[in-house]
Amino acid sequence: MAQTPTIARGGNSSAPARGPRNRAARTRRLSPRAIPYLLLVPCLLVIAALLLYPLVQMLQMSFQEVGLRQFRARNPLPAEFVGVDNFRQVLESELFWTSLRNTVLFALVAVTMTLVFGTLVGLLMHKLGPKMSIFVVVGTMAAWAVPPTAQAIIWKWQFDADAGIVNWALNLLPDWLSQAVFGRADWTGQPWLNDTLSIYFVLVVAVVWASFPFIAVSVLAGLKSIPSELYEAARVDGAGAVRTFWKITFPLLRPVFAVLVVLSMIWDFKVFTQLFLLAGGTNMPRDAFNLSVWSYVEAFNPPADMGLGAAIAIVLTVILLLITSVYVRQIVKSEDVR
Amino acid sequence: MKISKIAITTATTAALALGLAACGSGESATEPQAGATASGTGPKFAGQKLTVWRLGAPNEVFEKYMTDLNTKFTQTTGATVDLQWIPWPDAQNKWTTALASGEGPDVTEFGNDQVAAWVAQDALTDITDVVKSTPDFQQIPQNLWSYETIDGKIYAVPWGGGTRAVLYRKDWFEELGISEPKNWDELRAAAKKIVDEKGSDVDGFAFNGGSDANMSLSPFVWSAGGDFAAFEGGKWVGKLTQPGFKEGFQFYTDLVAKDGVSGKSRLTLNSVDISQRFAAEKVGMYVTGGWDIATIEEQSKGKVDAAKMGFFSLPAKDGSGPAPAFQGGNDIAVWKDTDAPELAAEYVKLAAGKEFGGRYAKENGLLPLYPEALAEYANDPAQKAFADTFAVAKGFPADSNWAEANDTKAVLQNAARAVIGGDKDIDTALADANKELEDILNQQ
Repeated sequence: MAQTPTIARGGNSSAPARGPRNRAARTRRLSPRAIPYLLLVPCLLVIAALLLYPLVQMLQMSFQEVGLRQFRARNPLPAEFVGVDNFRQVLESELFWTSLRNTVLFALVAVTMTLVFGTLVGLLMHKLGPKMSIFVVVGTMAAWAVPPTAQAIIWKWQFDADAGIVNWALNLLPDWLSQAVFGRADWTGQPWLNDTLSIYFVLVVAVVWASFPFIAVSVLAGLKSIPSELYEAARVDGAGAVRTFWKITFPLLRPVFAVLVVLSMIWDFKVFTQLFLLAGGTNMPRDAFNLSVWSYVEAFNPPADMGLGAAIAIVLTVILLLITSVYVRQIVKSEDVR
Repeated sequence: MKISKIAITTATTAALALGLAACGSGESATEPQAGATASGTGPKFAGQKLTVWRLGAPNEVFEKYMTDLNTKFTQTTGATVDLQWIPWPDAQNKWTTALASGEGPDVTEFGNDQVAAWVAQDALTDITDVVKSTPDFQQIPQNLWSYETIDGKIYAVPWGGGTRAVLYRKDWFEELGISEPKNWDELRAAAKKIVDEKGSDVDGFAFNGGSDANMSLSPFVWSAGGDFAAFEGGKWVGKLTQPGFKEGFQFYTDLVAKDGVSGKSRLTLNSVDISQRFAAEKVGMYVTGGWDIATIEEQSKGKVDAAKMGFFSLPAKDGSGPAPAFQGGNDIAVWKDTDAPELAAEYVKLAAGKEFGGRYAKENGLLPLYPEALAEYANDPAQKAFADTFAVAKGFPADSNWAEANDTKAVLQNAARAVIGGDKDIDTALADANKELEDILNQQ
């Protein structure tokens, strides 16, 4: 089911055959073994130019003192190598721990909620008739298609203190209910985007709203591939919906979930646009920084310190790579066992 | 006239013949032909183009001033002007981008307190010789050149002196029977009355917590006898924990936290955001400069017109007179990366010279720097609030790192938010801010 073993097997079995065949073909035409690699070259070149070069440059900058004087287009000063000084600054800063905390906790909450909600909607769409299913798919995909900037603006308005629909709706609740649940009855002018906790609450809502449709549609695609006999058998055996899900759907869709978790984790770890706009740009409370915003602020807010910004970005990337690789390894291991 | 036309045609043809060279504003400025053809007989810089950045939002009055200025400039030099308006709060980012990309202005307007920080980034041209050789500039009093002079070199020319006062809704004051506040208690009472009568989404006295928050906070702390920092024994010593500062800071944050005369959800607005709310009839009073009147009139489509607005000096706590306000001002400077420093200097000479410099101040709601014009001003009732305040104006710590503490790191904005949100008590917040301020000001 997973791709890794397939590739590995292909590579191993062909290795001994390569030598002789190559020698015979060299004079006349390209070896058929080389053709796939040749076809990959343009793609690799594009990736190298667009992805690797910036990465390498960022890595280089993270070990240098780079400010506007070094970065300017005309008469720049040479960038000075400062060793791990930028990284030391990152780790010593109080902002590192608050941003790390915000980044990780947000990713945990957002990924969990996106997956749970997305799966539930996917199951719902599977149950619906064709017309209704298409209606729900189109409806949710519309939310997914909204650009991050627009998402942030939309939710900023919903949670606006004076004109937002959220405060309005909360005010419509009967006073005793609001009092019992939230401990307050009056929501007029309640600011949502001042404190870290409520900023992140709004952010989770905005991000989950925009990212669950992708999960739902992917899960739906997976569900369509499961033979219906399995479900019939389960029904005959008297399994309920929950049991059916955990015993049939989940194990069969495991690879789908694995990919979705990794993707969601990558997306939610590096969330920037929505947070930046919701919380008020570079002037947001510093307690609400996540690693991406902090990196941006250090790198581009005057006085620009791009070396420090790059170092933060590297730290973020490394953390993300670590988490993802551990997770992927675990998936691959459990695949092998099966 | 005829010759200049020929010169322009020649230059244009030459530029076209050279192809793409004419497309970039920077490139065409270096064309040697243009100058050579016309030298001695006509405009020296015919066919060249100068990019000028003005800060603020354009409105009819400013547009007319710039059109007059640029027409005159084209007449005398033959060069055309590409005028761009940059909102004040975006200026820092725009200059950063300009340096990084090399695609910047030739001449730019500047806030005088920002000059030092950008000279440190090597962004401005040393124009000492231009200033010394221009008779008009020699009439600007020497004490007004302090922000512009760094290590004995001059990097900008003062264009207009600015100080801030309280802009208020005159019609609301009349309607509610409020008179101009003479001390802090009256100010608070007036703000409360506005909120009570005009609705809870209206700010009686708008709290500024954005990039220019200190313009709004400083009169309160200065009036109570406090200050931000002082240069003592070769280094900056923070003064935020002193009783005077604390008293002003307390009053300012209490406007939101205790008195509720400014919305708790609006702690990050800068003066531009607040002026937009003022135009939407959601603000009763806020601290700003005279330039906002024309913009508000235009933004509200005449609903809030000049007759409904007025200025008063922010009073001292005990009512002993106007509180000291930030002694600011706008400068005009030559960008370091310009291809045409000579032409740019010509523009500065014309714009900040007696004729256009005087008009700039007057039409922008700023104070003129030429002594005669300033003397005229004191008799104008509309400008009285500014003239009075200017007499007791003060400055922020004169250090190139101040801009970082002031808006990038937003030290006091964050402290104010922590106090208003109840995350820290006022003493802790100010002690933390004081340490951070010292660290920033004393860094190399």
